[in-house]
Amino acid sequence: GQTGKLMYVMHNSEYPLSCFALFENGPCLIADANFDTLMVKLKGFFQNAKANKIESRGTRYQYCDFLVKVGTVTMGPSARGISVEVEYCPCVIANDCWNLLMEFMQSFMGNHTPGIPSVFGTKHDSIYSPADTMVQYMELFNKIRKQQQVPVAGIR
Amino acid sequence: LVSGVRGPPPSPFVLRARRSMDKSGMPWHLRYLGQPEIGDKNRHALVRNCVDIATSDNLTDFLVEMGFRMDHEFVAKGHVFRKGIMKIVVYKIFRILMPGNTESIEPLSLSYLVELNVVAPAGQDVVSDDMRNFAEQLKPLVHLEKIDPKRLM
Repeated sequence: GQTGKLMYVMHNSEYPLSCFALFENGPCLIADANFDTLMVKLKGFFQNAKANKIESRGTRYQYCDFLVKVGTVTMGPSARGISVEVEYCPCVIANDCWNLLMEFMQSFMGNHTPGIPSVFGTKHDSIYSPADTMVQYMELFNKIRKQQQVPVAGIR
Repeated sequence: LVSGVRGPPPSPFVLRARRSMDKSGMPWHLRYLGQPEIGDKNRHALVRNCVDIATSDNLTDFLVEMGFRMDHEFVAKGHVFRKGIMKIVVYKIFRILMPGNTESIEPLSLSYLVELNVVAPAGQDVVSDDMRNFAEQLKPLVHLEKIDPKRLM
Protein backbone atom coordinates (compact mmCIF):
# COMPACT_ATOMS: atom_id res chain seq x y z
CA GLY A 1 0.00 0.00 0.00
CA GLN A 2 0.90 3.66 -0.26
CA THR A 3 1.65 4.27 3.39
CA GLY A 4 3.09 0.82 3.97
CA LYS A 5 0.45 -0.37 6.40
CA LEU A 6 0.65 -3.88 7.72
CA MET A 7 -2.34 -6.14 7.54
CA TYR A 8 -2.34 -9.30 9.57
CA VAL A 9 -4.40 -12.31 8.59
CA MET A 10 -4.84 -14.70 11.47
CA HIS A 11 -6.55 -17.95 12.25
CA ASN A 12 -7.55 -19.39 15.59
CA SER A 13 -8.33 -23.07 16.07
CA GLU A 14 -10.90 -22.07 18.68
CA TYR A 15 -12.90 -20.50 15.83
CA PRO A 16 -12.17 -22.91 12.98
CA LEU A 17 -14.64 -21.42 10.51
CA SER A 18 -13.37 -17.88 10.83
CA CYS A 19 -10.58 -15.76 9.54
CA PHE A 20 -9.39 -12.57 11.26
CA ALA A 21 -7.88 -9.67 9.37
CA LEU A 22 -6.49 -6.76 11.30
CA PHE A 23 -4.55 -3.56 11.02
CA GLU A 24 -2.42 -2.30 13.89
CA ASN A 25 -4.51 0.30 15.74
CA GLY A 26 -7.15 -0.32 13.14
CA PRO A 27 -10.29 -2.37 12.67
CA CYS A 28 -10.29 -6.15 13.02
CA LEU A 29 -12.52 -7.86 10.52
CA ILE A 30 -14.02 -11.23 11.36
CA ALA A 31 -14.83 -13.14 8.19
CA ASP A 32 -15.53 -16.67 7.13
CA ALA A 33 -12.91 -19.00 5.71
CA ASN A 34 -13.43 -17.72 2.15
CA PHE A 35 -11.48 -14.63 3.07
CA ASP A 36 -8.28 -16.58 2.41
CA THR A 37 -9.47 -17.22 -1.14
CA LEU A 38 -10.06 -13.51 -1.57
CA MET A 39 -6.56 -12.75 -0.32
CA VAL A 40 -5.15 -14.98 -3.05
CA LYS A 41 -7.02 -12.85 -5.61
CA LEU A 42 -5.70 -9.70 -3.98
CA LYS A 43 -2.12 -10.93 -4.07
CA GLY A 44 -1.07 -8.28 -6.58
CA PHE A 45 -2.11 -5.54 -4.19
CA PHE A 46 0.06 -6.44 -1.32
CA GLN A 47 3.72 -7.04 -0.83
CA ASN A 48 3.81 -10.21 1.16
CA ALA A 49 5.87 -9.56 4.29
CA LYS A 50 8.83 -11.80 3.87
CA ALA A 51 8.14 -15.19 5.41
CA ASN A 52 6.91 -13.62 8.62
CA LYS A 53 4.42 -16.31 9.41
CA ILE A 54 4.34 -16.96 13.11
CA GLU A 55 2.27 -19.46 15.04
CA SER A 56 1.62 -20.76 18.49
CA ARG A 57 0.81 -24.40 18.86
CA GLY A 58 0.16 -26.30 22.04
CA THR A 59 -2.34 -27.77 24.46
CA ARG A 60 -5.73 -26.54 25.51
CA TYR A 61 -6.68 -27.08 29.12
CA GLN A 62 -10.10 -26.69 30.68
CA TYR A 63 -10.15 -26.01 34.41
CA CYS A 64 -13.68 -25.42 35.72
CA ASP A 65 -14.70 -22.12 34.11
CA PHE A 66 -11.21 -21.33 32.87
CA LEU A 67 -9.55 -22.15 29.60
CA VAL A 68 -5.77 -22.20 29.58
CA LYS A 69 -3.86 -22.59 26.35
CA VAL A 70 -0.12 -23.04 26.51
CA GLY A 71 1.75 -22.98 23.24
CA THR A 72 5.20 -22.85 21.73
CA VAL A 73 5.61 -19.87 19.48
CA THR A 74 7.48 -20.70 16.31
CA MET A 75 8.58 -18.62 13.37
CA GLY A 76 9.49 -20.95 10.55
CA PRO A 77 11.67 -23.70 11.94
CA SER A 78 12.79 -21.87 15.06
CA ALA A 79 11.05 -21.72 18.42
CA ARG A 80 10.89 -18.18 19.75
CA GLY A 81 8.99 -18.37 22.99
CA ILE A 82 5.99 -19.59 24.91
CA SER A 83 2.50 -18.16 24.93
CA VAL A 84 -0.08 -18.59 27.65
CA GLU A 85 -3.70 -17.67 26.99
CA VAL A 86 -6.13 -17.58 29.88
CA GLU A 87 -9.84 -17.16 29.41
CA TYR A 88 -12.60 -16.92 31.99
CA CYS A 89 -15.59 -18.24 30.05
CA PRO A 90 -18.71 -17.14 31.96
CA CYS A 91 -17.91 -13.44 31.80
CA VAL A 92 -18.03 -11.22 28.71
CA ILE A 93 -17.19 -7.87 30.31
CA ALA A 94 -13.45 -7.56 30.83
CA ASN A 95 -13.65 -5.17 33.73
CA ASP A 96 -15.90 -7.45 35.73
CA CYS A 97 -13.52 -10.38 35.88
CA TRP A 98 -10.04 -8.95 35.51
CA ASN A 99 -9.26 -9.31 39.21
CA LEU A 100 -10.39 -12.91 39.22
CA LEU A 101 -8.33 -13.68 36.14
CA MET A 102 -5.28 -12.07 37.68
CA GLU A 103 -5.67 -14.06 40.88
CA PHE A 104 -6.01 -17.27 38.91
CA MET A 105 -2.96 -16.50 36.79
CA GLN A 106 -0.85 -15.63 39.81
CA SER A 107 -1.56 -19.09 41.22
CA PHE A 108 0.52 -20.69 38.47
CA MET A 109 2.38 -17.83 36.79
CA GLY A 110 3.63 -15.94 39.82
CA ASN A 111 5.76 -13.02 38.70
CA HIS A 112 4.99 -13.59 35.05
CA THR A 113 1.38 -12.52 35.48
CA PRO A 114 0.77 -9.71 32.99
CA GLY A 115 -0.97 -6.42 33.56
CA ILE A 116 -4.38 -5.67 32.06
CA PRO A 117 -4.17 -6.00 28.26
CA SER A 118 -4.08 -2.73 26.36
CA VAL A 119 -6.89 -3.89 24.10
CA PHE A 120 -9.26 -2.96 26.92
CA GLY A 121 -7.81 0.54 27.07
CA THR A 122 -10.75 2.86 27.30
CA LYS A 123 -13.57 0.43 26.67
CA HIS A 124 -13.60 -1.44 29.98
CA ASP A 125 -17.28 -2.18 29.88
CA SER A 126 -17.77 -3.34 26.33
CA ILE A 127 -18.55 -6.94 25.47
CA TYR A 128 -15.57 -9.13 24.77
CA SER A 129 -15.18 -10.44 21.25
CA PRO A 130 -12.82 -12.98 19.62
CA ALA A 131 -11.28 -10.01 17.80
CA ASP A 132 -9.94 -8.81 21.18
CA THR A 133 -8.11 -12.13 21.53
CA MET A 134 -6.58 -11.80 18.07
CA VAL A 135 -5.37 -8.26 18.75
CA GLN A 136 -3.55 -9.53 21.83
CA TYR A 137 -1.93 -12.33 19.85
CA MET A 138 -0.88 -9.86 17.18
CA GLU A 139 0.79 -7.68 19.82
CA LEU A 140 2.47 -10.69 21.40
CA PHE A 141 3.72 -12.01 18.07
CA ASN A 142 5.05 -8.59 17.11
CA LYS A 143 6.91 -8.38 20.39
CA ILE A 144 8.43 -11.78 19.71
CA ARG A 145 9.34 -10.82 16.15
CA LYS A 146 11.23 -7.78 17.40
CA GLN A 147 13.17 -9.83 19.93
CA GLN A 148 16.71 -10.48 18.97
CA GLN A 149 17.41 -14.08 18.28
CA VAL A 150 20.09 -15.39 20.58
CA PRO A 151 23.13 -16.02 18.37
CA VAL A 152 24.68 -19.42 18.54
CA ALA A 153 28.43 -19.25 18.78
CA GLY A 154 30.39 -21.68 16.71
CA ILE A 155 33.99 -22.44 16.18
CA ARG A 156 35.39 -23.36 12.86
CA LEU B 1 -27.89 -1.64 0.98
CA VAL B 2 -25.15 -2.39 -1.49
CA SER B 3 -21.95 -0.53 -2.06
CA GLY B 4 -19.21 -1.14 -4.58
CA VAL B 5 -15.67 -0.25 -3.66
CA ARG B 6 -12.86 0.32 -6.10
CA GLY B 7 -9.29 -0.58 -5.31
CA PRO B 8 -6.42 1.93 -5.34
CA PRO B 9 -5.25 2.84 -8.85
CA PRO B 10 -4.00 1.63 -11.21
CA SER B 11 -5.96 -1.54 -10.71
CA PRO B 12 -9.73 -1.40 -11.01
CA PHE B 13 -10.30 -4.12 -8.44
CA VAL B 14 -13.93 -4.09 -7.44
CA LEU B 15 -15.41 -5.54 -4.28
CA ARG B 16 -19.07 -5.43 -3.41
CA ALA B 17 -20.27 -5.02 0.17
CA ARG B 18 -23.87 -5.69 1.04
CA ARG B 19 -25.91 -5.63 4.21
CA SER B 20 -29.47 -6.31 5.18
CA MET B 21 -31.53 -3.28 6.09
CA ASP B 22 -34.47 -5.09 7.57
CA LYS B 23 -32.71 -7.78 9.60
CA SER B 24 -30.32 -6.46 12.22
CA GLY B 25 -27.44 -8.57 13.46
CA MET B 26 -26.95 -10.42 10.20
CA PRO B 27 -23.39 -10.60 8.85
CA TRP B 28 -22.37 -8.30 6.05
CA HIS B 29 -21.69 -9.88 2.70
CA LEU B 30 -18.54 -9.27 0.71
CA ARG B 31 -18.31 -10.43 -2.88
CA TYR B 32 -15.61 -10.49 -5.50
CA LEU B 33 -16.67 -10.98 -9.13
CA GLY B 34 -14.03 -11.74 -11.70
CA GLN B 35 -13.95 -11.01 -15.39
CA PRO B 36 -16.40 -12.90 -17.62
CA GLU B 37 -15.03 -16.27 -18.57
CA ILE B 38 -13.72 -16.92 -22.06
CA GLY B 39 -15.82 -19.12 -24.32
CA ASP B 40 -18.75 -17.18 -23.07
CA LYS B 41 -20.34 -16.50 -26.45
CA ASN B 42 -22.01 -19.90 -26.68
CA ARG B 43 -23.35 -19.86 -23.17
CA HIS B 44 -26.77 -18.51 -22.41
CA ALA B 45 -25.73 -16.77 -19.23
CA LEU B 46 -22.85 -14.59 -18.13
CA VAL B 47 -20.33 -16.64 -16.16
CA ARG B 48 -17.89 -15.08 -13.74
CA ASN B 49 -15.59 -16.30 -11.02
CA CYS B 50 -17.09 -15.47 -7.63
CA VAL B 51 -15.88 -15.40 -4.04
CA ASP B 52 -18.46 -14.80 -1.31
CA ILE B 53 -17.45 -13.92 2.23
CA ALA B 54 -19.59 -13.27 5.28
CA THR B 55 -18.07 -10.64 7.55
CA SER B 56 -18.53 -8.68 10.76
CA ASP B 57 -20.22 -5.29 10.58
CA ASN B 58 -17.04 -3.19 10.45
CA LEU B 59 -16.56 -4.15 6.80
CA THR B 60 -16.67 -0.63 5.36
CA ASP B 61 -14.11 0.70 7.86
CA PHE B 62 -11.92 -2.25 7.06
CA LEU B 63 -12.11 -1.78 3.29
CA VAL B 64 -11.20 1.88 3.67
CA GLU B 65 -8.21 0.86 5.79
CA MET B 66 -7.17 -1.53 3.02
CA GLY B 67 -7.14 1.36 0.57
CA PHE B 68 -10.50 0.91 -1.10
CA ARG B 69 -12.70 3.89 -1.85
CA MET B 70 -16.44 3.74 -2.30
CA ASP B 71 -17.51 3.83 -5.90
CA HIS B 72 -21.27 3.81 -5.61
CA GLU B 73 -23.99 2.70 -3.30
CA PHE B 74 -27.69 2.00 -3.62
CA VAL B 75 -30.58 0.44 -1.79
CA ALA B 76 -32.40 -2.54 -3.24
CA LYS B 77 -35.87 -3.38 -2.04
CA GLY B 78 -37.82 -6.32 -3.32
CA HIS B 79 -38.28 -10.05 -3.17
CA VAL B 80 -36.09 -13.09 -3.49
CA PHE B 81 -37.39 -16.31 -5.01
CA ARG B 82 -35.63 -19.63 -5.16
CA LYS B 83 -35.95 -22.59 -7.51
CA GLY B 84 -33.36 -25.20 -6.65
CA ILE B 85 -30.02 -23.43 -6.87
CA MET B 86 -31.48 -20.65 -9.01
CA LYS B 87 -32.14 -17.38 -7.34
CA ILE B 88 -34.52 -14.84 -8.83
CA VAL B 89 -34.48 -11.37 -7.37
CA VAL B 90 -37.16 -8.83 -8.22
CA TYR B 91 -36.20 -5.46 -6.87
CA LYS B 92 -36.37 -1.73 -7.22
CA ILE B 93 -33.19 0.28 -7.09
CA PHE B 94 -33.15 3.40 -4.93
CA ARG B 95 -30.65 6.20 -5.14
CA ILE B 96 -29.27 7.39 -1.81
CA LEU B 97 -29.63 11.15 -1.65
CA MET B 98 -27.11 11.76 1.09
CA PRO B 99 -24.11 9.41 1.35
CA GLY B 100 -24.49 7.09 4.28
CA ASN B 101 -28.06 8.11 5.03
CA THR B 102 -30.39 5.29 4.08
CA GLU B 103 -33.47 7.10 5.31
CA SER B 104 -33.65 9.51 2.41
CA ILE B 105 -33.78 7.53 -0.79
CA GLU B 106 -35.59 7.88 -4.06
CA PRO B 107 -36.39 5.23 -6.66
CA LEU B 108 -34.19 5.23 -9.72
CA SER B 109 -37.13 4.25 -11.88
CA LEU B 110 -40.68 3.02 -11.45
CA SER B 111 -39.93 -0.45 -12.76
CA TYR B 112 -38.47 -3.46 -11.03
CA LEU B 113 -35.32 -5.19 -12.12
CA VAL B 114 -35.55 -8.96 -12.51
CA GLU B 115 -32.32 -10.80 -12.05
CA LEU B 116 -31.72 -14.53 -12.35
CA ASN B 117 -28.47 -15.82 -10.96
CA VAL B 118 -26.90 -19.04 -9.79
CA VAL B 119 -23.83 -19.73 -7.71
CA ALA B 120 -22.45 -23.09 -8.76
CA PRO B 121 -19.15 -24.95 -8.55
CA ALA B 122 -16.64 -24.22 -11.29
CA GLY B 123 -17.15 -25.93 -14.62
CA GLN B 124 -20.85 -26.66 -14.33
CA ASP B 125 -21.75 -24.98 -17.59
CA VAL B 126 -24.97 -26.95 -17.94
CA VAL B 127 -26.43 -24.63 -15.33
CA SER B 128 -26.74 -21.90 -17.93
CA ASP B 129 -29.05 -24.18 -19.95
CA ASP B 130 -31.31 -24.60 -16.93
CA MET B 131 -31.33 -20.85 -16.57
CA ARG B 132 -32.31 -20.36 -20.20
CA ASN B 133 -35.12 -22.91 -19.86
CA PHE B 134 -36.46 -21.11 -16.82
CA ALA B 135 -36.18 -17.76 -18.53
CA GLU B 136 -38.29 -19.10 -21.39
CA GLN B 137 -41.09 -19.85 -18.92
CA LEU B 138 -41.20 -16.24 -17.82
CA LYS B 139 -41.94 -14.96 -21.32
CA PRO B 140 -43.83 -12.83 -22.28
CA LEU B 141 -44.10 -11.40 -18.75
CA VAL B 142 -40.37 -10.77 -18.60
CA HIS B 143 -37.65 -11.07 -21.23
CA LEU B 144 -34.46 -12.16 -19.55
CA GLU B 145 -31.33 -11.53 -21.56
CA LYS B 146 -27.73 -12.36 -21.00
CA ILE B 147 -25.85 -9.35 -19.63
CA ASP B 148 -23.02 -7.98 -21.71
CA PRO B 149 -20.84 -6.16 -19.17
CA LYS B 150 -18.88 -4.35 -21.87
CA ARG B 151 -22.01 -2.52 -22.90
CA LEU B 152 -22.46 -1.25 -19.36
CA MET B 153 -18.94 0.08 -18.82
